[in-house]
Amino acid sequence: MAAIDYPLQRPKAEPGEFSFSETLYKWVATVDHKRLGLMYVASALIFLIVAGIMATVMRVQLMFPNGHVVGPDTFNRLFTMHGTSMVFLVGMPMVAGFANYLVPLMIGARDMAFPRLNSFGFWIFLLGGLLLYYSYLGGGGLSGDGSAPDVGWFAYAPLTERGFSRGHSSDYWALGVLVSGFGSIASAINVIATTFCMRCPGMTLKRMPMFVWVMLIDSWLIVVALPPLSAAQVMLLLDRYLGANFFNTQNGGSAVLWQHYFWIFGHPEVYILIFPAFAILSEVIPIFSRKPLFGRPAMVAAVVAIGFISLGVWAHHMFAVGMTSWSNTFFAASSMLVGIPTGIKIFNWTATMYGGRLRFTTALLFCCGFLFQFLLAGLTGIMLAVAPFDWQLHDSYFVVAHFHFTLVGGLVFGLFAGMYYWFPKAIGKMLDETLGKWHFWLFCIGFNLTFIPLHFAGMLGMPRRIYTYAPGRGWELWNFVATIGVFFQIAGILFFIYNVLRSTLRGQPATDDPWDGWTLEWATSSPPPEYNFEKLPVVRSSRPLWDLKHPQDPDWKWE
Amino acid sequence: MTDELHHGEAGERSEGAHIQLPAPTFWPMVFAFGLTLLFAGLVTHWAVGVVGFVITFRAALGWWHNVIPHEEHEEVPIEPELRPAPILVETRSVVRLRAGEQGHRQRVPEEVHPYSAGLWGGLIGGAVMAALACLYGLFAQHSIWYPVNLLAGVVIPGMGSATLEQLRAFNGLAFIAALVGHICISGLMGIVYAVMLPMFPKYAPFWAGILMPLFWSGLVATTLNVIDPAMNGRINWLWFVICQLAFGLVGGYFIARSTSIKTMQSWTLAERAFVEAPGVRPVREDEEK
Repeated sequence: MAAIDYPLQRPKAEPGEFSFSETLYKWVATVDHKRLGLMYVASALIFLIVAGIMATVMRVQLMFPNGHVVGPDTFNRLFTMHGTSMVFLVGMPMVAGFANYLVPLMIGARDMAFPRLNSFGFWIFLLGGLLLYYSYLGGGGLSGDGSAPDVGWFAYAPLTERGFSRGHSSDYWALGVLVSGFGSIASAINVIATTFCMRCPGMTLKRMPMFVWVMLIDSWLIVVALPPLSAAQVMLLLDRYLGANFFNTQNGGSAVLWQHYFWIFGHPEVYILIFPAFAILSEVIPIFSRKPLFGRPAMVAAVVAIGFISLGVWAHHMFAVGMTSWSNTFFAASSMLVGIPTGIKIFNWTATMYGGRLRFTTALLFCCGFLFQFLLAGLTGIMLAVAPFDWQLHDSYFVVAHFHFTLVGGLVFGLFAGMYYWFPKAIGKMLDETLGKWHFWLFCIGFNLTFIPLHFAGMLGMPRRIYTYAPGRGWELWNFVATIGVFFQIAGILFFIYNVLRSTLRGQPATDDPWDGWTLEWATSSPPPEYNFEKLPVVRSSRPLWDLKHPQDPDWKWE
Repeated sequence: MTDELHHGEAGERSEGAHIQLPAPTFWPMVFAFGLTLLFAGLVTHWAVGVVGFVITFRAALGWWHNVIPHEEHEEVPIEPELRPAPILVETRSVVRLRAGEQGHRQRVPEEVHPYSAGLWGGLIGGAVMAALACLYGLFAQHSIWYPVNLLAGVVIPGMGSATLEQLRAFNGLAFIAALVGHICISGLMGIVYAVMLPMFPKYAPFWAGILMPLFWSGLVATTLNVIDPAMNGRINWLWFVICQLAFGLVGGYFIARSTSIKTMQSWTLAERAFVEAPGVRPVREDEEK
């Protein structure tokens, strides 16, 4: 095979001249970070809809006592697949998608450091997800026992051992998550290498956009936190296929060992998932407040601190296991410690808005929703960090409400803010603001209607993962209201889907810089060309576009 | 207001007609597919795994040839119609706040009262408050120990079920608990006052002496039923508010008359770290004089 010494020249193409197969090839073979970013986000949205439908079925089942919509086995599969999908097939690809699309644009690069690895990362994530869902068909194995995984998203041992999990359902869980995890690690390595090696001239770490900073720490957390889970999954497969007995309590294995492995990954994972929302808020709030981010160095320090502290709090998920009092004290204290940098971030976002010229676009509304809801999630998190309190409410709906406030009230609201903010850049069309506000208010009301009552259901003793309940325990009203809230959320999501489709097909064309932005992605066209920038930009401050728009009053004079 | 068009650095044009980018390739996708099949072989059939291995191997070779000995690139034509619009220069500039200018504070607080002043102010205010509470006990309940025992009820559960006679009698443990609690809370509140007073733009004595005690009284009135129902049932709220006001006025007065000290809020990080190097520390106006 002859070596290619000089690049091939691509002929100029007229719009509309590509056939279907050529277009398909362009998307399948692409190594362009923007296309891969969009493919990540689109795949995550599809999994979001699937996992959302599962959640709806569960809520309808629990709307009234003695529900008969689904049976217990189906319910077990539903909550397992819902949780696994939301974490690994929605949250993680959203991290990768946003980082892929935006990091090179924001640092003035033409692509990621490893474009082919980037492509591999996307496909392995997608195929891992499909492998997980194939369990509905193939989970029974040759003996026909089992279907989709039914052991919860954390797959606690020894439930996953052969004796308790017949067929292949737990194998599919381990393999699907393991395979899609390769994609997350590939993407994270890429973001780190890109950030460190491909910044445009003048972009020192001090001048790097806050979004890139947060994504850098997020990627570092992925690289550190994900391998323990992968190792544990391989050990589980060894248990199931070769009788290794790592987690098989009947043969001297340790179920607690699995919990440690899982939560060493699992708690940093919460921050891995919420960091993109932090990153988005740090860009959206200043733009719509017309003020630079308040306390930028403190914000960077806070995110680094959260990254470090989050690696040392995992056993607060295990207070009910029966650890020593020293362990309980350490993990309670470290869990509370993480509230300090998180509090700094909340205060600084609020301080950025304070005194600003606020433009209440849909993106900013979602940010405001985030601030209120994530604060409540943080406060219930501090409550759960107190070991005796956790003993009372462990595995109750209070915990369910807490982490949904974190991941839906926090992450999903942040992601929607990001979608409304960067959609014009990515697609070249504006999302409709009126439809956006319908989306926000319906989703916000629905979300709070669903998850505020679940705190009370939990405090009244309703355990999680039950498929039905008897009347007369005081849970009826809370569950009924919670399910009503789900329908509001569905209505909100339908508005969003309609808005995206309508705006993509015949929305108002977006200008290159519709929000009067300050970071480099707004310096290129909407949508950006394949090469991002015709000439690589040179920056002198953390707001390069501000400098260009205000040559008499540039930021670099002050930074 | 925008009045002229400029090409910023980010909008400048390239001299060439093409830009080199990594060439598209489907081998990473095929590699991922093969790898997934390889793992799927564990849960389906060994033949699936073998097919997966073959595909993975072939894709690895394809990917390898894609980057070795030279990474495959292609020249993407620059499309003039995709050039971004010129960046609009805005002539309007931003007026930046300077510390102390027109009463604005760039960072708050620029000055604080010493913590020691807060501590002493809190202790003196607490002493006046305690004296008034004892006076109330003496006149209304004929015992100075009545308010002391009530206060101790917050930390000593047994006091909640004490009779009126027991509340009027001296109780050593209750006295120590009330004394320690009162001193700690008074001192801490004094420090909070010292920190917060400089943050109020105006009417600091009013905030410290009147509003803060009223807020505190309101907070206690709404939460005491949960913390100490017995005390809640026996408390005289008029005297309670009078005692709080006495604390606020006396403590606030002592703190306010202390000499304020400048904070390092407006210093740079290097200055705060006491880095001694030329150019690290800008010369301040007062130093120039």
